[in-house]
Amino acid sequence: MEKDLVVYIAKSLVDDPEGVEVNIVEGEKSTILELRVSQEDIGKVIGKHGRIAKAMRTIISASATKTGKRIVLEILD
Amino acid sequence: MIKEFEGRTEQEAIENAASALNIDREEFDVEILDVSRKSLFRKGNVKIKVYIDDNGSMADENPEAASDFEQKTVSYLEELIELMGYPGKVDIAFREEKKLGLTIVSDHSGILIGKKGKNLDAIQLILNVYAGQLENSKRVIVDAENYRNRHEETIIRQAARTADQVIKSKRSRLLEPMNPFERRLVHTSLNDIVDVETKSEGEGLYRQVRIIYKGSASS
Repeated sequence: MEKDLVVYIAKSLVDDPEGVEVNIVEGEKSTILELRVSQEDIGKVIGKHGRIAKAMRTIISASATKTGKRIVLEILD
Repeated sequence: MIKEFEGRTEQEAIENAASALNIDREEFDVEILDVSRKSLFRKGNVKIKVYIDDNGSMADENPEAASDFEQKTVSYLEELIELMGYPGKVDIAFREEKKLGLTIVSDHSGILIGKKGKNLDAIQLILNVYAGQLENSKRVIVDAENYRNRHEETIIRQAARTADQVIKSKRSRLLEPMNPFERRLVHTSLNDIVDVETKSEGEGLYRQVRIIYKGSASS
């Protein structure tokens, strides 16, 4: 499940793993995963110029190709 | 792979290297780093640097993780690909002072590599952020099915072919966007072709190498 994947990656990147939370918003054709982390960890999951966020999205869509479903990762603050 | 060894004489240092690495003298290159001659009060000492061809017999000296750092990065990567839904095994491909090479053995290598290695690069980036927390000075290289080497060869071949076209047509040509490592590969591989020069243009992710006709050096 992509949610577990996001939780796993996010927890490995942040200082405060307790603050990691992922909500699933099911849509008709796509699923939105909303990632929340502690305020001071936001930079860690986004990265310079969004490099880490982009890599996470790439990994998630690679994972999602096996089911053919579109999965969108949103990082909320 | 590069390693350093010492001995009282050059010969002894080389023997030490061969026995420590468990390989024959023919299988590595040696560079002498430092020689302090025997004197009345000192024993002589020779320091050498040994270069081992990683494609040779050393490639799988010990594919199992040895140190704590290796264990953690290997199991992190194994768990990551498992959660992605593409389980596989991770072996150690090479060890260098500041680099650790990992290779994924999986039935799903194709998707794990992705178009132009996109997925492999994303996995490598995340793994490096994680590994950076364990040991700051170490980089981890992630590979599957020897993709990185094959890809390098493809780029060099493509660059050479395009350079030929440039020389024939006397018109410059633009290669597709590449990352800094790939662009450097193009620049260095075309460095000794006198008829062309290479320049990068564009910004950020879209920087491309242009191969420009310079004219024959003899004319």
